[in-house]
Amino acid sequence: MLTDVPPGDKSTPEYLQNELRGVNAHAPKKQKTLRELLREAHPHVVCSDGSNHYFRRKELEYLSEMIYEPEQDFLLLPIIIEVSSHPRGVIVRSRKGIEARILSKILGMPLNVREDTIRLYRPQLSVVRKSLKTTSQYVFF
Amino acid sequence: MAKKIQVTRPTKIELARLKRRLKLATRIQKIMKDRLSILVMEFLQTVKECAAIKERLLGEYAEAYKALSAATGYHGYAELDKELMMPERTFTVSAGTRNVAGVRIPLFEIEKGEPLQGKMKNPLDTSSLLDHTATLAQKCLETTVELAELESALALLGAEINKVKRINNALEYIVMPGLDATIRYLTMKFEERDREEVARLKYVKLLIEKREAYAY
Repeated sequence: MLTDVPPGDKSTPEYLQNELRGVNAHAPKKQKTLRELLREAHPHVVCSDGSNHYFRRKELEYLSEMIYEPEQDFLLLPIIIEVSSHPRGVIVRSRKGIEARILSKILGMPLNVREDTIRLYRPQLSVVRKSLKTTSQYVFF
Repeated sequence: MAKKIQVTRPTKIELARLKRRLKLATRIQKIMKDRLSILVMEFLQTVKECAAIKERLLGEYAEAYKALSAATGYHGYAELDKELMMPERTFTVSAGTRNVAGVRIPLFEIEKGEPLQGKMKNPLDTSSLLDHTATLAQKCLETTVELAELESALALLGAEINKVKRINNALEYIVMPGLDATIRYLTMKFEERDREEVARLKYVKLLIEKREAYAY
């Protein structure tokens, strides 16, 4: 294969850069609070690539039942699941501890929050994703 | 397979550029592997859910048809046709998309409308059998919509898995080995050039020494 491209040809490096850029194109531009989403007729957020990510109303109601009413202003959705090639699984950020409470309720076990992060193992991840199909999203690092 | 190396400019700048490109390719390959594992996990989960819903749907349809045949036996075809001609309430299916690791998957939700005024069934002409059939049919409709969403999710996830696998393989077996081979080739070339330079300097030194010796 041609590894040393001529000076004018930038296809390979550009392809690699675009691939890296496209991996997280589905990440939301801005997260919305649970209260905001519950008020919307068709709850959704806009992704970085301009597409819309819709939420299932049932899931939003399920989440609202799990937390206290004033916390609806602090829970940002979709919940971002940070995936990296770390052998110990994936990370979820929980600044106010709301996400940690939700996840521990779904998993039925207490979760450790260290430096605002929760570490989830792959088997736990599939359980979480089963309950929060639209209210959680992956981001790759 | 032997790696084909084509170097147009064997320079140090080119070597640095290639090293940078290899680093980037390695990073992308790592991300692609993670993405692939996540997609496979989602795919398997969807397959499981799909199988469970299919089974549930078959049971619901069997029940609904049983109830319908009982209602038909009780009321007769003509009466049943008359009662079922107009729906009591409307349903709307709202469609959107959800994103799963970069795959846009359709999302369907059934929204029940208000009961239509003047379209209520006459309680004297109907029975609990018909109401039961209607409830079961509604359940079937909801499950069918759920299944439609999952089936399309399966197809889309499968296609994306194939795509990511191809990218991953291309990076792992073509791009990265090619870059690696070129970097090795250039490194060896520079080492060879250095060795030649040392040999040349030694030879020149020897010549100068000889000349100086003859001069005395």
